[in-house]
Amino acid sequence: MRFDTTVLSPAELDLRAAVREFLAAELPEDRIPALGMAAEHDPAFSRKLAAAGWVGMAIPPEYGGRGRSAVDRFIVTEELLSAGAPIGAHFVADRQTAPTLLSFGTEEQRKYFLPRISAGECWFSLGMSEPDAGSDLASVRTSAKRVDGGWSINGTKVWTSGAHLNHYFAVLCRTSPANGDRHAGLSQLIVDLGSPGVKVSPIPYLNGTHSFNEVLLDDVFVPDDMVLGEVGSGWAQVTSELAYERSGPDRFLSTFNLLRYFIAEHGAEYVDDAAARVVGTLSAHFWTIRQLSLAVARALDEGRAPAVEAALVKDLGTRFEQRVIELMRTVAETEVGPGEGSIFQRLLAEAILTGPTFTLRGGTTEVLRSIAARGLTR
Amino acid sequence: MSDDRSFVAEAATSILQDHSTPETVRRVEHRGWNEELWSVLAESGFTTISVPETAGGSGGDIADACVVIKAVGQFAAAVPVVETALLAGWALAAAGLELPIGPATTGVGQSADTTELRKTAQGWRLSGRLHRVPWAHQAERLVLIVPVDGVDHVVSVRAPELEILPGRNLAGETRDTVVFDDVPAEAVAPAPPGVSVEALRLRGALGRAVATAGALARVADLTVQYTAAREQFGRPLARFQAVQRHIVRIAERTQAAGMAADTAALNADPDPDFFDVAAAKIIAGESGSTAAAAAHQAHGAIGMTKEYELGQLTRRLWTWRDEFGSESYWSRLLGQQVVMDGASELWPRLSTGRVPHGSTRSQA
Repeated sequence: MRFDTTVLSPAELDLRAAVREFLAAELPEDRIPALGMAAEHDPAFSRKLAAAGWVGMAIPPEYGGRGRSAVDRFIVTEELLSAGAPIGAHFVADRQTAPTLLSFGTEEQRKYFLPRISAGECWFSLGMSEPDAGSDLASVRTSAKRVDGGWSINGTKVWTSGAHLNHYFAVLCRTSPANGDRHAGLSQLIVDLGSPGVKVSPIPYLNGTHSFNEVLLDDVFVPDDMVLGEVGSGWAQVTSELAYERSGPDRFLSTFNLLRYFIAEHGAEYVDDAAARVVGTLSAHFWTIRQLSLAVARALDEGRAPAVEAALVKDLGTRFEQRVIELMRTVAETEVGPGEGSIFQRLLAEAILTGPTFTLRGGTTEVLRSIAARGLTR
Repeated sequence: MSDDRSFVAEAATSILQDHSTPETVRRVEHRGWNEELWSVLAESGFTTISVPETAGGSGGDIADACVVIKAVGQFAAAVPVVETALLAGWALAAAGLELPIGPATTGVGQSADTTELRKTAQGWRLSGRLHRVPWAHQAERLVLIVPVDGVDHVVSVRAPELEILPGRNLAGETRDTVVFDDVPAEAVAPAPPGVSVEALRLRGALGRAVATAGALARVADLTVQYTAAREQFGRPLARFQAVQRHIVRIAERTQAAGMAADTAALNADPDPDFFDVAAAKIIAGESGSTAAAAAHQAHGAIGMTKEYELGQLTRRLWTWRDEFGSESYWSRLLGQQVVMDGASELWPRLSTGRVPHGSTRSQA
């Protein structure tokens, strides 16, 4: 267990200033900010961001990326999230699919997908969860059978965010029987969401919006060159993939704009001692958790493998995101309805309705604690 | 960590390991402090670390002092390093006065405190009453900041000549009431800008936050060890998910408190930053509460005994939360500052963690 304090270099601070300038120019003052990564799907914004060099930062230049460090990517991501920017189109492909392709993809796949992801033009969903496989991913039932020139895949994926908008998803499925080892025989196949046999239907979200989908796969043909990594190595690939998505700024900034707009709308003269205490407490936590999360990014750049640290940060960060909602609520003393009232009131309503997902997505609190405990008691 | 600082950390840890064992801590508790440990630390210069050599200290900066203070917390050591080096020594040195040999302490700015400094024909005379002064009973000097005609002065008085009404904190460390009526001041000098009761409290809060981080690290280790060794229902406690939850919670709180305290200490160059210290003290206090509760739950009844080490640490966590300002105190001040700075300054400040030496930064 190791978290080092991190000083940002002059170059890193310059990067931050450039991103701040870009966002100030791009995002209108009066827009309603997104709550973290659950942001609007805005292809034009994603393309502009990519043109500025801030998508595909972790992808090497030979694949069309920018070859930047984990800390550089952290800096851009935290600026985007704190501004509530519309990152919905490219975020998952950039955060999660690109590193997986880099680690496990074939040269052809990297050459095809990575430049498109870096340009902000190729969008991915995640194809892990199923009706009977949530935290216990190894129990997926979606299966693929060998056919001429590739695989034929059948099954149902659920909670597939953005499948109605995105181009592809990487499907975890069974390619051979478990035969006693349930982690064996799993593979990841890249499925074109426009393929024949793919049926995407909305699963309305608690707040009434369309983000979640059910994706039915009915004899969908996946050519051999779309197998991601080794056939049979899906389990190892997916678990390492989850480590990537674990502890970044998207795990503690989802409700940052609640605090920001509380201050903006209430002002110094309104804020009494109780509200000041809440603002102070939340500020102290944001400041601290951000540094823990940044320390993980720096550790990755130094070649360490901070898996336990990442699990701790995600657990701390996501539970904190929820605490922000509760504490803001206690001092706001207001009734809220979806899409009603001031920006703060709208954000509060949205946060209450979507908040439970923070400690579910990307590994539930319970799963994370098991991972962390194994590391701590080893 | 710089090489010098690593050396300080190693040397201080080695002294504390020998002279602040759980047995020693238990044995000296009735006395309110660990006198033998103090002498050894003093011989090595660790009790006046961060006080310039020209003012009778052993030099170094606040971050150096904080590695000693962290070790003091880790070993539940009852010694006034924070009070002597970070508070009294700093105030004297800043006012151009020398820190005499021996432990020193200071008033902590309790609302009921009263002080009056008068210039008479016989020299400066001091009257007043101070509450919950750390280690007043053991201190050689009491250093105060007292206004005279609206101008703050740094005042040093010989502590053994004062009337002391003994008190203790939850960990059995002395926290006394000090009464003085027209006593002679040993040294008086005008306080330079930035040397104030508030500044003393900020430094004290940094000291307690850092010590808390040290104690938490030991609580985390103890809990991992105990739950691995102790078996119930045929397996170690650490194999139960419900117990693992406590272990993870303690680890999270320990790392958060450590990160906040380290950043505040490393940024304190030359002086602690208000935002940093307020945040570190809030996180330390909350972490102390949460981790102490989880550790006791994981330990069961053994943790409730005086015999076992855990209580030496958790009683300090509980008491240090409130010393030099509780979470409630600091969160109110911090929140007022953040609101005053306005929404547009919020993210720039929250995203300013550790800063390189010599950079400018907003001071409250």
